[in-house]
Amino acid sequence: MKTALNKKTAIDKRLLAVWAVLSAITLIYLWIDRSADDGGAPTASTAVTVSAIILALVKVRIIMREFMEVRHAPALLRRLTDLWVVLMAASLLGMYFVGKAVA
Amino acid sequence: MTTTQPVTATAKEPRRVPGQPDMWVFVLFESLVFTSYFGVYLYYRAQREEAFLQAQSHLDLWLGVLGTIVLLTSSWSVARCVQTARAGQYRAATRDAFLTAGFGVAFLALKIVEWTGHVQAGHTFTSDDFFQHYFFLTAIHCVHLLIGFVVLGVLVHQLASPDRRSQETVETCATYWHTVDFFWVLIFALLYVVR
Amino acid sequence: MKRPAGRDDPKRELWLAWYAILVFYNLYTVVFFILTRTQPPGKPWYGAGDASGWFAHHHDGLLVGFALIFVLGGLSATSIALITYSIRRMSVSRAFAYSYLILYSVSAVPGFLFICVAMTAGAMRPDRDPALQQWLYDLGFLSFSGTMGVFLVGSLIWMAAILLDKNRVFPKWFGYLNLCNALTEVVVAPSWMFDRGVFAWNGLIAWWINVVVFGLYTGVFINLLRNVIIREDFGTGPLPGLPKRARGHAPAEVVS
Repeated sequence: MKTALNKKTAIDKRLLAVWAVLSAITLIYLWIDRSADDGGAPTASTAVTVSAIILALVKVRIIMREFMEVRHAPALLRRLTDLWVVLMAASLLGMYFVGKAVA
Repeated sequence: MTTTQPVTATAKEPRRVPGQPDMWVFVLFESLVFTSYFGVYLYYRAQREEAFLQAQSHLDLWLGVLGTIVLLTSSWSVARCVQTARAGQYRAATRDAFLTAGFGVAFLALKIVEWTGHVQAGHTFTSDDFFQHYFFLTAIHCVHLLIGFVVLGVLVHQLASPDRRSQETVETCATYWHTVDFFWVLIFALLYVVR
Repeated sequence: MKRPAGRDDPKRELWLAWYAILVFYNLYTVVFFILTRTQPPGKPWYGAGDASGWFAHHHDGLLVGFALIFVLGGLSATSIALITYSIRRMSVSRAFAYSYLILYSVSAVPGFLFICVAMTAGAMRPDRDPALQQWLYDLGFLSFSGTMGVFLVGSLIWMAAILLDKNRVFPKWFGYLNLCNALTEVVVAPSWMFDRGVFAWNGLIAWWINVVVFGLYTGVFINLLRNVIIREDFGTGPLPGLPKRARGHAPAEVVS
């Protein structure tokens, strides 16, 4: 019973830390948004766009590794999920820059 | 004893896929579908940045951040549910599953408040390009969330009786819920922050 | 392998149905994508003059293509029948199979035959008021793209059957793929509201992404139905796995 309780607190601590990191990254968005404002109307910013996408994908990877327990999974799933994060980054940034080039 | 515990546990056990491996086909396939929706949005957005920015300024970033943190908290609850179920603490696991659903409902309520506000201000699905994508992405995510409640129902039903309990099903359901969560993490960044 | 007495190979009939599916989907692709050019769909913003011009321009292809559908379109029943058969082979209630059968039979009318009727009428009556022709044009494409609700619930029923099944008729991942397909059926609904942009009936999101998902899904289920026939033992318990030598071979070799 006591070991079960200890085990549970150990579980809680790691997940709590993960949740705190994810929430902190979410709060960074507020700072990014504020620092990009120069008082007037919002302006387009490649730096904000790229960092918003990268930060979101960092969060996605943390969710997969920690919450979805991919870090305990076989190499195939770990590599596949990492590949997917890279693929998403490439597609999103790619489409954004292609759109900018077309415009 | 404390932080090293999960590592030593896996050092003994063979590495394994969380939940049914089949669910990961859904996760990866649906991620590609969402990536294509996001790509289309970014492509058109990059071409008409001024119009998108102007419409986007009607979104409340604080509401978005709040929603994201609420959904992250629900994900945290279901991750705890998996671990408590694994430790055989089924009452705690059931409580965690209900907490997850509770945060899910809170997120849904926030979405409805947000949608109502936009529609009352005259920003609808058909009013402009940005709000087209905004309503589409938030709504299709919401459909995933509603399916998530069914999935949580399956989870609670499993946990309720010793005959049905299966750790694999618990993990499969949790994997679905986390997927809904990380889709929102991307949608939030793309709709509220990107500029 | 248990075989009913007095029959050479009970699988022959299943293979007949399976090859009919291949014929149907090939016919479908040729008619819609090549002959009639109704896929990818015409421009949703066409006015009355444009629509009657479209009918005039596509006149021959529309007549030949849809004549083929009116003669052979009934082959679509084979795919529904074989899927219903596969659900009957599962450990789940027959209600799943019946619901699937009825839903997909109904869905063939708005999702498939309606466009053929409307477009053929438009092509065969070039002397009609252009406004009426535009109406047929809209009706054809909207009925084809905008009526996916029946397909949605049908997909979900098939998904539920696969996930509940204990006979391993289909792999569970295909059950989840049904959910992906069902979710893209939701996405076509906005085509009723827009006549241009990514959500119109020819839009990037409402059409192109959906057709890729649907194409993959269809390819996968035709292949899995093939595996079901190979594995079928005409019993009631779990289906055996694929025989080793059957892997990667053409089905014809397996039958012989």
